[in-house]
Amino acid sequence: MTLKDKELTDEELVDKIITSDKNLYVIIIERYEKKLIRYANNLIKDKNKAIDVVQESFIKAFIDLNNFDIKKKFSSWIYRIVHNQVINIIKKYHKETPLLEGWDFKSEENIEENFEIKEIKEKVEKCLKNIPFLYREPLSLYYIDEKSYEEISYILRIPIGTVATHINRAKKLMKKICQKN
Amino acid sequence: MSEELKNITNNIMEQIDKGKIKMKPKIYFIIGSIITFFGLISSMIVSIFLIGLIRFSIRSNGRMAQYRFDQILSNFPWWTTIFAIISLIIGIWLIRKYDFSYKKKNVTIILGFILAIIITGYTIDAIGLNDTLLHRGPMQGMMQNYFKGNKIQVQDEYMMNK
Repeated sequence: MTLKDKELTDEELVDKIITSDKNLYVIIIERYEKKLIRYANNLIKDKNKAIDVVQESFIKAFIDLNNFDIKKKFSSWIYRIVHNQVINIIKKYHKETPLLEGWDFKSEENIEENFEIKEIKEKVEKCLKNIPFLYREPLSLYYIDEKSYEEISYILRIPIGTVATHINRAKKLMKKICQKN
Repeated sequence: MSEELKNITNNIMEQIDKGKIKMKPKIYFIIGSIITFFGLISSMIVSIFLIGLIRFSIRSNGRMAQYRFDQILSNFPWWTTIFAIISLIIGIWLIRKYDFSYKKKNVTIILGFILAIIITGYTIDAIGLNDTLLHRGPMQGMMQNYFKGNKIQVQDEYMMNK
């Protein structure tokens, strides 16, 4: 492993891992483990389980690495794997009850007017545990992991329009819940 | 946290080094894609054919078919309906495996797929492909046996002229 390897993009690294040096996978793990543990922890609210989920996800990703299309974004692909693992954990432990799709909120105010952009990330993280899973995940991906609507759409396997709707509803819900607390 | 991160990295890399975790070969995924593709195509063909057959069997009850509802019901190939539904479900399940599918809403995909199959089945029957199959195609034996077995009178020009 050289310094040059560390400068490679994720996709270039994956290509090299597949074709010549599987030990480079350590760079991929180091790049993503922290972010992915935080993401999983925000969803399942259990640090130990989040660590297990991420470890399992890295193993699964390595096994399926030949299935990754290097023309696509690796980060979305690995987040997608973690998302699936989280869903499996939630199904296994029946801890969460997703909020129904039809939920709506009367507030039409724009949350950005009330929260400073720099503070949003912090507030979202604090507030996240009180938000139902259906909205928690897109909100976490959008504000904390700074993913675009398109990436969230790929990770959650839902249309972009649905991502936008969920984030808008989540913002309103977050405002309601966070202002109460 | 940093100790935990180190543990994850070490644990995974150790398993890779020892060969406990191995990458699945590319061919595994290529074969998977081919099976999915042919599964989807097969389910579409089966659904289209069965929908054509359902329409054909309704049509084949004669010119006064609308007055012979009981006969239609007793002769109706219910198994085709069941198989058509199963094939549609398999087709929808397989189409959901494709990367593009999540960009559309589930309802759109399901309705679009069912509608496409029904329209194609109807069109195939309307252009007479089922009649051709009845007399010449690979399904000749199966279709004729079905109609003979159920004593269904086939009402089409070809049979009338025979």
